[in-house]
Amino acid sequence: MNAANRLPAAFAELEPFVDQWCLATSNERTTARRNSTPEEREAFFNAGKVIAADALQLLDQKPLDQLDDKEQCLMSLLLSLAHVSLAVEIQGGDEARHALASQHMPITRSPSNPR
Amino acid sequence: MTAELPVFEPVTKEEASRIGTAPVPAGPYYQSDYFDAECEAVFRRSWLNVGHTCELPEPGDYIVRELEVANASLLITRNRDGLLKAFHNACTHRGTQLVSEPCGRRQVFSCPYHMWTFNSDGELRNAPDFDQFYVDKAELNLKPVAVDSCGGMLFINLNPNPAQSLRDYLGPLADQLETLPSARATTFSEYVYEIDANWKLTYDNFQENYHLRFIHPKTGAATSGKDNPFGYPLRYGFHDPHRTQTIWSNPQPQIQPFQMLAFGKGMQFAMQDGLVGSEQSKEYYAVFPNLFILGSPMQPFSHTVYPISATKSRGVIRIYWVGEDDCASRRFAREYAMGLARDIHSEDRAVIEAGQRGLNSGALTHIHFQAQEVLCRHLFNMVDERVQAYRAERQTGGAQ
Ligand code: FES
Ligand SMILES: [Fe+2]
Repeated sequence: MNAANRLPAAFAELEPFVDQWCLATSNERTTARRNSTPEEREAFFNAGKVIAADALQLLDQKPLDQLDDKEQCLMSLLLSLAHVSLAVEIQGGDEARHALASQHMPITRSPSNPR
Repeated sequence: MTAELPVFEPVTKEEASRIGTAPVPAGPYYQSDYFDAECEAVFRRSWLNVGHTCELPEPGDYIVRELEVANASLLITRNRDGLLKAFHNACTHRGTQLVSEPCGRRQVFSCPYHMWTFNSDGELRNAPDFDQFYVDKAELNLKPVAVDSCGGMLFINLNPNPAQSLRDYLGPLADQLETLPSARATTFSEYVYEIDANWKLTYDNFQENYHLRFIHPKTGAATSGKDNPFGYPLRYGFHDPHRTQTIWSNPQPQIQPFQMLAFGKGMQFAMQDGLVGSEQSKEYYAVFPNLFILGSPMQPFSHTVYPISATKSRGVIRIYWVGEDDCASRRFAREYAMGLARDIHSEDRAVIEAGQRGLNSGALTHIHFQAQEVLCRHLFNMVDERVQAYRAERQTGGAQ
């Protein structure tokens, strides 16, 4: 696993997911969801869902444009988690079929995309 | 928790039969001569949604929109006085497309070919070596297109002198659109799709719930229930040529734990922004010919189906937000809401294309709409009235 500390210390257990899920745009996140394996999605969702509320609480203490690099990375993981949760929690076994449809609907604008 | 829940009562077959019961001809859903007539009779004569006013908030802002149905490229500006203006994006010298960027901010627009320069009112301000021409500068302003907005939604009319103002065209819908979250939006999320299907066939998919349980087995779970297994709406409304439905939602929806976190945040911000509790929050507007708007406080979206050919269309879906992302929770709630709406919308595309492939051969002379597909029937009625009137007009014109 990558040894770098790319997340706030309290959320270090998510470090193994940074390479795959710390992404800049909404369309990259839904593409990563589509290109991942069920095992990858489940591992990320299981690790993320238990810390999501606490992570949001931490990040909410600052305006978004003042988040440091580690906090931004955590934010980005939470946004990917939103996409992955739709696969794991809502679609479940239907995700493979759903992914075929999803590729035809690119996200062309999102307030979370960098300006 | 055991209080009696109201029992769902669907719109009756008798009520819906007011809009008609006969089979509908299939040709208008694939034939190119019908499509050509629609371009003239419907799309060149109706107010068409092309965007949202938040895309050009300041004087000097502009957007460019390609409108394949009219082979037109449009330049929409906000002039120095803050007024919306729209023009054909075609230089009046020899037709060159004036602006190639999709949006921006500028006081003047210079044609790349011979440098004729127009202002945001479309007036020709400067043309090099103009003495060599045989025409007055005043005759060379950009060709205007009618433009107006209602509830933030931006509309154009290719007829520079439309038969009706936008407000008259929208009728009773105009006041309601002004109350929706989309009217207060300052930004939006957007996703798009290209589809090998007629615009009406595509649009119809999004105005009937008969398919929900088959095409959205997972994402549709929140919109069906024991007493309403198909998730049919509570009411239909007809305001020719527009129509509405009042969405029914399961009073005891099954919400997953992580979804609850996202919905909880979304609801908190919707309340904070004063978007909750409006009478229009369950209204789904079908604005003729090709726009939908949903009044929901948490996923207020518009969906426009742009025709490209008889069997090709493009959908543009936008979810509207009031204010920029100001904190992590708001950003998270918006990402989730957009992701869920997109999951649902994306599930429909393949089955619509399959419908088109089935119709293209002409094997079916007619299609059948049930009572709960009455909005599809109403769209056909509204389009066909206009196409038949246009054809009759052409025949009398041709006989003279
Ligand atoms: S075509 Fe535009 S200046 Fe000549
Ligand atoms: Fe659908």
